[in-house]
Amino acid sequence: MAAPSAAGLCRRLRAWLPRIMPVRWSRYNPSYLEPEVKTEAYQKPLEELTEEEKEQMELKAVRPIKAAPPTLSSSVFSDPMISKFTNMMMKSGNKVLARSLMSQTLEAIKRKQLEKYHKAPENEKETIECNPYVIFHQALKNCQPIIGLSSITRGGKTYQVPVPLTDNRKRFLAMKWMITECRENKHRRTMMPEKLSQELLLAFNNEGPIIKKKHVLHKMAESNRAYAHFRWW
Amino acid sequence: MLRSLQGLVCRSLKLDHGCVLHTAARDGLSSVSSQDVPAENPRAVFHTSESDPAKHTEQHEGRLYNIPLEEVKAVFPHGLPYRFQQQIQTFNEARVMVRKPALELLAYLKGSNFAHPAVRYVIYGERGTGKTMTLCHVVHYCSRQGWLVLHIPDAHLWVKNCKELLQSSYKKDRLDQPLQASVWLKNFKSSNERFLQEIKTQKKYMWGKQESTEEGRPLGEVVEQGLARVRSASDAVGVVLREIKQQSHRGSFRLLVAVDGVNALWGRTSLRKEDKSPVSPEELTLVHNLRKMVRNDWSGGAIVTTLSQTGSLFKPSSAYTPQELLGKEGFDALDPFVPIPVPNYSPREFESCYGYYLERKWLQHEKAHTEDGKAELRFLSGSNPRQLDRLAGPL
Repeated sequence: MAAPSAAGLCRRLRAWLPRIMPVRWSRYNPSYLEPEVKTEAYQKPLEELTEEEKEQMELKAVRPIKAAPPTLSSSVFSDPMISKFTNMMMKSGNKVLARSLMSQTLEAIKRKQLEKYHKAPENEKETIECNPYVIFHQALKNCQPIIGLSSITRGGKTYQVPVPLTDNRKRFLAMKWMITECRENKHRRTMMPEKLSQELLLAFNNEGPIIKKKHVLHKMAESNRAYAHFRWW
Repeated sequence: MLRSLQGLVCRSLKLDHGCVLHTAARDGLSSVSSQDVPAENPRAVFHTSESDPAKHTEQHEGRLYNIPLEEVKAVFPHGLPYRFQQQIQTFNEARVMVRKPALELLAYLKGSNFAHPAVRYVIYGERGTGKTMTLCHVVHYCSRQGWLVLHIPDAHLWVKNCKELLQSSYKKDRLDQPLQASVWLKNFKSSNERFLQEIKTQKKYMWGKQESTEEGRPLGEVVEQGLARVRSASDAVGVVLREIKQQSHRGSFRLLVAVDGVNALWGRTSLRKEDKSPVSPEELTLVHNLRKMVRNDWSGGAIVTTLSQTGSLFKPSSAYTPQELLGKEGFDALDPFVPIPVPNYSPREFESCYGYYLERKWLQHEKAHTEDGKAELRFLSGSNPRQLDRLAGPL
């Protein structure tokens, strides 16, 4: 509820307004400004600021500021893709558990790669990638499909039509396949970090069940090329 | 209204504070490095090649010394924290930091008179500050010096999660724990082989109706008996402790009793008898015998113990002082003792740990190599060793 209408309603309907008012997903008054979390913006000394930045600072002194969402972080180690993956792994809002699983996964990847690195002979050491973030990003990139399938109904029959995918959809599909593969097709007693680290390492090397799933999707799209003209967008 | 400006001011103050600490630590380390210079590798400032704890002095403070892997297997069959064991496996080496509390303890041990009754040392501190690692440092020193080391890795394991509780055949109202006792006997045997041949029993012991150990047999036989007949393992442990205690004053060997989590001996247990009544610690044979060991009525060695809230039962998580964790009974039993507090990392120790992680390629994130990343690690961990280890894991 926006501030002016809430003030008006308050007097009339005081009894049933909840004690805690959700703030972020309600409609903020347009006068509220976005929060600035990057530390670099605050480290500039006053003399180096341009005119517009000085005006912006003065505006922030008088206007109210929106509440920062929990996903917005000022840490130098925060990564939007990792946050997105953590949110997708989360069940019933248990972000603490999802985040700890994610950090255990990254640590497991790092340990496996470091052990391989220390045991390898000198000439092979450069080829072994030990950075878990690089492995994570590359693995998800390798899992992203190029083309997708969409069901279109024509004359009573439903056809699977090959369709281009947006970047967001590709990223989402890669992460979804990764998580479902780890949840469903593994032994019941293995822990999620262990399963995930194994799958990520396989996907990094372009092997494993998720890459196979992507290739199957590409083949289906290729075989259904004839129906491509059904697409109207 | 002036929220954002206040935030600006607070943040600039925080940054200045961080910079001041950082330069102080740098100066400290550079002054040390000018004294003994390992020239080739600038990162090796954090290491020391002195792997004998007897020769560690304040000069080595904040540095990491290496324990050869064969020695680790021989001296520590049990007792190292799990995360440290994982670290040994990943880095292929065991590096322990030399810190002030450990140096203090080693100085006391070097200067102690072994004709007097054994002095008790209690290492205490908040969670994750390095109490168990200090204990392991002392255990390494003593085993290098040729002492007989009685290392109980975690006394809390003896008062909780026991699958089998047998009624003791020796005393009717006591309870035996065969599994825990046999595990401990196996580890004790692997670390103290030569003493088990040298020490002889002074009495005849009957194990049940037919089996017995004669007087004058080596203690190794008692241990074998305990391992072979798991039912009498707890009694075997009791016999071993008794014999060692009685013979320590003769001076043929020095005895170190190292107990981690000594507050478990005087707390409550989470075990129940068959009639669902709770078991108190004195009713357990292992705990009863260990309590006798920790009393200062013998001479010829030392007793070094650690308090631990992490595995403890029915104690609040903010408790860390001896008074809170031991309770009245435990404090009176351990009194008088020498308390040794273990603080978080000093700025120099933090630099050393951070440098070690960088050198071993444990910190892989590109931002972790920058000053901002280091400042953030320092702030988030609060210079607590365990938090730093946990934070540096996924990075």
